[in-house]
Amino acid sequence: MAIADFQQKLQSGAGKISSNKYLKSVSDGLMSALPALIIGAFSTLLSGMAIEPYQDFITNTGLKPILDLPSQYTIDMIALYAVFFIAYRLATAFDKDGAPAGLIALMSFFVLTPTALLDESAVLPFQFLGAQGLFVAIIVGLISARLYVLIVDKGITIKMPDGVPPTVSKTFAGLVPGILIVVLFTIISAIFDATTYGSMHQVVYSFIQTPLQNLGGGFWSLIAMILVIHVLWLLGIHGMLVVLPIYLSIWMPLGVENLDALAAGEELPNIVNTGFAQLFILLGGSGATLGLAIIMTFMAKSKRYKTLGRLSLPGSIFGINEPLIFGLPIVLNPYLAIPFVLAPLVVSIIPYFLMASGLVTKLAGAHLPLGTPAFFNAIIQGGFSILVLQILMIILSGIIYYPFFRIIDKQAVKEEESAQESLE
Amino acid sequence: MKNILLVCAAGMSTSMLVTKMEKAAVNKDEEIKITATSGGDVKKYIDEAEVLLLGPQVSYLKADYEKQYGDERGIPVEVINSIDYGTMNGEKVLNWAIDLIDSK
Repeated sequence: MAIADFQQKLQSGAGKISSNKYLKSVSDGLMSALPALIIGAFSTLLSGMAIEPYQDFITNTGLKPILDLPSQYTIDMIALYAVFFIAYRLATAFDKDGAPAGLIALMSFFVLTPTALLDESAVLPFQFLGAQGLFVAIIVGLISARLYVLIVDKGITIKMPDGVPPTVSKTFAGLVPGILIVVLFTIISAIFDATTYGSMHQVVYSFIQTPLQNLGGGFWSLIAMILVIHVLWLLGIHGMLVVLPIYLSIWMPLGVENLDALAAGEELPNIVNTGFAQLFILLGGSGATLGLAIIMTFMAKSKRYKTLGRLSLPGSIFGINEPLIFGLPIVLNPYLAIPFVLAPLVVSIIPYFLMASGLVTKLAGAHLPLGTPAFFNAIIQGGFSILVLQILMIILSGIIYYPFFRIIDKQAVKEEESAQESLE
Repeated sequence: MKNILLVCAAGMSTSMLVTKMEKAAVNKDEEIKITATSGGDVKKYIDEAEVLLLGPQVSYLKADYEKQYGDERGIPVEVINSIDYGTMNGEKVLNWAIDLIDSK
């Protein structure tokens, strides 16, 4: 069958993407850094909640700077965590020790980061340690870890003269990759320093990160992302996993920019970010299936779907919907393919335009842990108005799924009846 | 004692299945250890595992895992039937896993 052939080809393609060592290290490394980001997000949200009496209270009591403290050392420094873990993951993927690779990457990252003078003493500005430094973190993390693997594989070491105690020569052997890589990045840093841009950070941020984020944060990228994720899922492939490297490296920093703006009391810049995806695209899991789980639980006529609805509803609230995707199933199901793509599109496009027109506030942009329940995530990201919007989107997704679900539900009722009759 | 390792994307939906499988395992004569993990952490658990089962959403990892673990260690690597997975039929998946271990 042609579809099976196509599916197999796509599966192996998707497999290649999601098991590519470099892409995987980027997403695994960013995932490892997430706890820091999540802790920081809660600190920003607590200090930034736009309730006037509350703001007066924390400002007057001097609590605000204390509430901000965790976010300053997590969100505002996320590139440091990221560079370490990306290198760590890549070295581990090549069966090498992760920690030295992470350490070397961190050193290399610092070497590239410009310092400034403040009252005649050297300081390290936060500018490129946070979201703005994330692309350099990815680049440096991958390059330095790959070089580390290469040098260790080649067994390049310093030959010590005979008579030097073995422990001493071992120490030096372990230092070789570090010395070579840090020297290399020092040279790179010096070269960028001599240009008019001043640093590699400035160049990467202006010429790579900003254009990619503008592209990735736009309306059509949102649509493309939703289409790719869901078409892959329809063929039985975990679409989210395939797009994860792009999703995390482009949409996550967009959310961080919002958090930074929130902390600074400025207008939130980005509509699309990972928080937006969690609230709307993945409302109940891929396919925005929370509405479907609800109509199955309360409106299904067939026993089969009612049972499955009950089984899947609790998980759906937490964004886990594999029981629906495989149990219903949605995969390769011609009846549900249309709403499975349409529902996430509609429930994302409506909030997008409401936010673009300023009718609804943009989301705070926190990347919440996997499994953060619906409703709760809405309140965290934007308070009451976003909660109402999310509930409306759940109802809307239910309406989109309903006519298609009715068809398969009727079929199931018929099958159950005829099975019953044949028993009697 | 038997040791079953399950893998999915984040280890979340699989952990739901594990709960069901563990319930079913109580009625078995021998002790059965069932672990759910994400793709990145297979290495950590593979030493103890006697069978490696993949969630249907990561079925494309099968060839990769067969090469890495199947051939070398002689561990069966299989994809869980998607309907059993979706309906969280713990008992059926458990019995199937035990058969896989016994027949290797």
